Order: sequence, then structure tokens, then C-alpha cells
Amino acid sequence: MATNDGLRASLQIAGAGLQTQATRLRIVSENIANAQSTATVSGGDPYARQTISFENALDRAAGVSLVKVKQIGRDSTPFRVEQDPGNPAADANGFVKLPNVDVLTELADLREANRSYEANLQVAKQSSDLMNQTVAMLKDV
Amino acid sequence: MAEVYLNALSAQRIGYLSTRQSLIAGNVSNANTPGFKALDLKPFAAALQETAMTMAVTNPAHLTPTAQELDPPKPREGDDANATVSGNSVDLENEMVKLGEVNRDYSMATGVKKIFHQMMMQALK
Repeated sequence: MATNDGLRASLQIAGAGLQTQATRLRIVSENIANAQSTATVSGGDPYARQTISFENALDRAAGVSLVKVKQIGRDSTPFRVEQDPGNPAADANGFVKLPNVDVLTELADLREANRSYEANLQVAKQSSDLMNQTVAMLKDV
Repeated sequence: MAEVYLNALSAQRIGYLSTRQSLIAGNVSNANTPGFKALDLKPFAAALQETAMTMAVTNPAHLTPTAQELDPPKPREGDDANATVSGNSVDLENEMVKLGEVNRDYSMATGVKKIFHQMMMQALK
């Protein structure tokens, strides 16, 4: 039987929020780390930027709707092309395909993920705080 | 003056606030979910005034919906104006304010409940 307790549910929901935002941070860090990763073969495709999206879905075990990662996809924006014949990844004409990662966008995403993570943390802290207050009612009687 | 059943009222208040807390948690965790609409309960006084109609049970196997299921929380009016391009209407600052409200009200309700506890214990001792 699923629990109907709001505070327990709050903790689980905030926990799911923390997890998804942490996954988002991982994706952002992978994108930034690979901002210069070109192909290993001549004329090949470089690292494609990863995207992440969320959805709210009912978790049957918990009996509440939890946020989860819906999809980790690939950004289909065209790659940047640069003339660099000396590069091992250059094609026959000397053009190198560079990843479609824009570090500025990634940093903005990083900030937003950070902000959401903090908000979820705040909710989790307060939920456990309220539980403590409930238990504290039995103290000193 | 009408009597105020504070003991029962504070218990209901605690239940109401924990449900509200879980809705806030849902809003915050879905701050980046496309198409998600922020949910909230109606004010406690309004929720208290309304008597939820439940269905008659003629067989023990019948499932009765809870008051929550009969009257599920809805997105607030006018929230669509703040929605982002993705259709998400969660405002983190607003949720943090609500979080503070719930914290204060919860302290109040547990405080009242605790005093009733103490009174009962005094009678027993």
C-alpha cells in the first residue's frame, strides 16, 4: 500500500528532483568537457552536444508523481567547420568538423541546474525539519 | 461565541499543510519540466468550509475516493501569464515563499497540538 503521507512524499519528490538535476549537471559537464572533441578518423563527425528533458510521471512504488529524466538526446544543430589541414580529423579538403557545443549556453544551463538543485535541497531540508517538529511534539510531556 | 475545536482543527491543519508541502515539492522538482503547471491547494479556511461529498458504500469491496481525489489540486488562475516558452508555470521564488509559509504554519499547528498534549498529561498525572 502506497503511503499517503505528504511529508514523506515531499521528501521523495525532492529527492527525485535532486537526482534529475544532478543528471543534468552531468550532461552539462560532459558537453563542456567535450567542447573540443573532434573525430578520431579523417572527415568523421565530432562529439555531438547532448540534450536532456524531464517529465513528471507516477511512480507506482512510491504512489506519487516523481520527476524523472525523459530523454537524453543529441543536438542536431550542424557542426562548426574550420579549415585546419594539419588536424588528424581533417577531411580531404582540410576542413575539420568541431562539436556543436556552445560553452556560454552550457554555463547558463549550469547556473539554472544549480538554482533548481538548491531549491530542491531546500524543500528536502524543510520536509525533514517538519517531520522533526512532529516528533518533537512528544518531547517533554 | 461558537466553540472552536482547536485540537481537532490543529490535526486537520497539519494534514492540510503536509499535503501542501508535497505539492510545493512537486512544483519545485518540476521547475524544468516542459508543460508542467504549478499546483496549489485552496486556502485552509475555504477547504474547511466545503464538505466533500463521498460516494455511498454498499459493498465493502467498493473503493471510496479520498477528498483529495474528488477535488484534486488545480493550477492557480492567471499563472499562464508567467509560463515560459516550454509551457512551464513554476515560479521558484514564489514556491520558496510558500515553503516559508508552510514552515511557520506547521510550527504553529504542532505548537497548539503540543499544548493539548501537555494538558492531557497534566490530567493523567
